[in-house]
Amino acid sequence: MDMDIKRLAKLAKLKFNPEEEEKFAAQMANIVAMVEKLPDLDASGPLIDPDNPMEFRKDEVVQKYRRDELIANAPEVQAGCIVVPKTVAEE
Amino acid sequence: MELYRLTATELSRMIRNKEVSSTEVTKSVFSRIKEKENEIEAYVTLNEEGALKKAAEVDEKIARGETLSSLAGIPVGIKDNICTKGLRTTCSSKMLSNFVPPYNATVINKLEEADFVCTGKLNMDEFAMGSSTETSFFKKTKNPFDTTRVPGGSSGGSAAAVASGEAIVALGSDTGGSIRQPASFCGVVGMKPTYGSVSRFGLVAFASSLDQIGPFGRCVEDVAMLTSVICGKDPMDTTSVRREYPRFEDNLSADVKGLRIGIPDVYFGEGVTEEVRQSVMNAAHKYEEMGAVLVPVTLPQPDYALAAYYIIACAEASSNLARFDGVKYGYRSPNYTSLEDLYENTRSEGFGEEVKRRIMLGTYVLSSGYYDAYYKKAKFTQNLMQDMFRKAFTQADVILCPTAPDTAFKFGENSDNQVKMYMNDILTVTVNIVGLPAISIPCGFDSKGMPIGCQLIGGKFSEQLLLNTAFAYEKAVGGFDLSRTLG
Repeated sequence: MDMDIKRLAKLAKLKFNPEEEEKFAAQMANIVAMVEKLPDLDASGPLIDPDNPMEFRKDEVVQKYRRDELIANAPEVQAGCIVVPKTVAEE
Repeated sequence: MELYRLTATELSRMIRNKEVSSTEVTKSVFSRIKEKENEIEAYVTLNEEGALKKAAEVDEKIARGETLSSLAGIPVGIKDNICTKGLRTTCSSKMLSNFVPPYNATVINKLEEADFVCTGKLNMDEFAMGSSTETSFFKKTKNPFDTTRVPGGSSGGSAAAVASGEAIVALGSDTGGSIRQPASFCGVVGMKPTYGSVSRFGLVAFASSLDQIGPFGRCVEDVAMLTSVICGKDPMDTTSVRREYPRFEDNLSADVKGLRIGIPDVYFGEGVTEEVRQSVMNAAHKYEEMGAVLVPVTLPQPDYALAAYYIIACAEASSNLARFDGVKYGYRSPNYTSLEDLYENTRSEGFGEEVKRRIMLGTYVLSSGYYDAYYKKAKFTQNLMQDMFRKAFTQADVILCPTAPDTAFKFGENSDNQVKMYMNDILTVTVNIVGLPAISIPCGFDSKGMPIGCQLIGGKFSEQLLLNTAFAYEKAVGGFDLSRTLG
């Protein structure tokens, strides 16, 4: 199995130290061996779910949250705005 | 008689006949919690003040002569992945250890309309990922039958609380067996309803196409009563299904004459212990004595189902859990210099190991070059399995098999071997993949004195038939024995 733990961790926004990486690689190999036991079938063609037709909801405002209720859980707030580190690099 | 030992059905009648007050019932449950919680550790957050306030309100309504729902004044525990407005909801994760939802899940709104009393939030495997409740960030819930053993999972707190009298009934959620397996391990009744019958709005998502909220109780009638309250179409969940949902408890019937019960050989095979096999087959023969007919049915290979399950569940989890980034709510790492750093450190510090493993597996099976080999193939396996069940239900009305291959194991026994831990779900995951309802009922004890669960699986929206079939067994054996955990 060719699992690139470093690349996957980057995609998943996770960090592992070298020991963890090694442990994860071994564990993931076992898990992947388990999930490879799929039947031999033709997996081409579209995937549709005829049992669950979706029903659109009317575009109406039915419930409102107050701004302060919604940001009450934010880790850092200033002047009613959520604070994050600078996202644009300085020249 | 201590009130916490009674069922919701009995308490409901007594409250409405003014034989006891909801306040007395609620106090009895909280004094039981004080007595047992140090040992069992079922709760992450207790809601004593809120519960007593609500109980007093119910008592006033009764004094005024108002007509109340059957659930009014009954203490109900809630799994900690179901959002409760103003009451901390953690998913048993460091990531949400400080999260107080600004809204209720739809099921909580429905329970509130029915005047339930919320005892608190119950422990679980972190983000519902596990089969033993050992992956909780906060504590390890114990099995009330033997505190050296796990209660099962992921709804381990719900099952343990109901079995030990720390709640009368409880809500859990089931993505791959997370209601049925702990119900089986703790000797209580647990049902996973048909996908789409209960709204998932406000249930913190693990695998959206498989998750379903469902009830725990000490008898079938309690489970029926709780199911009636939570079912229904919800505009906030597009996958919920519009149809007539009956009051299941009013239509319970113990008549199984002529009922065709399917016995799938492969679900009694490799990995299932002899004691479990015997005990579940004894339940099948009990049904035969009552006039049901046993017929062989062919179901999907359990190892196909388990493989497809872990691919689909982890793929959806890796996507659903992308929202936990330390920005808008939940844990935020104190160590960061850039936004990327904030994301990575928050997620690496906030998630436990099992959650990280599943996110990594999900990321892998969805990543470019692997999508067709894993995810797409798993989805086609799902279609194949649906066809097999459709065929099986032309031969049988319900299907009977063990809930789990073995009874509750000891702490740490499976912690180092993920594949062995995942095998716990081998008999339950199929039901989630095909969206069917299934119920686990106690059907005896093994030689260690641990409860064994019998699983009944029905066609889509056959909850009434499942509850009736379960009810027939309960009547035939004279009720389920929880004298050791309620005493």
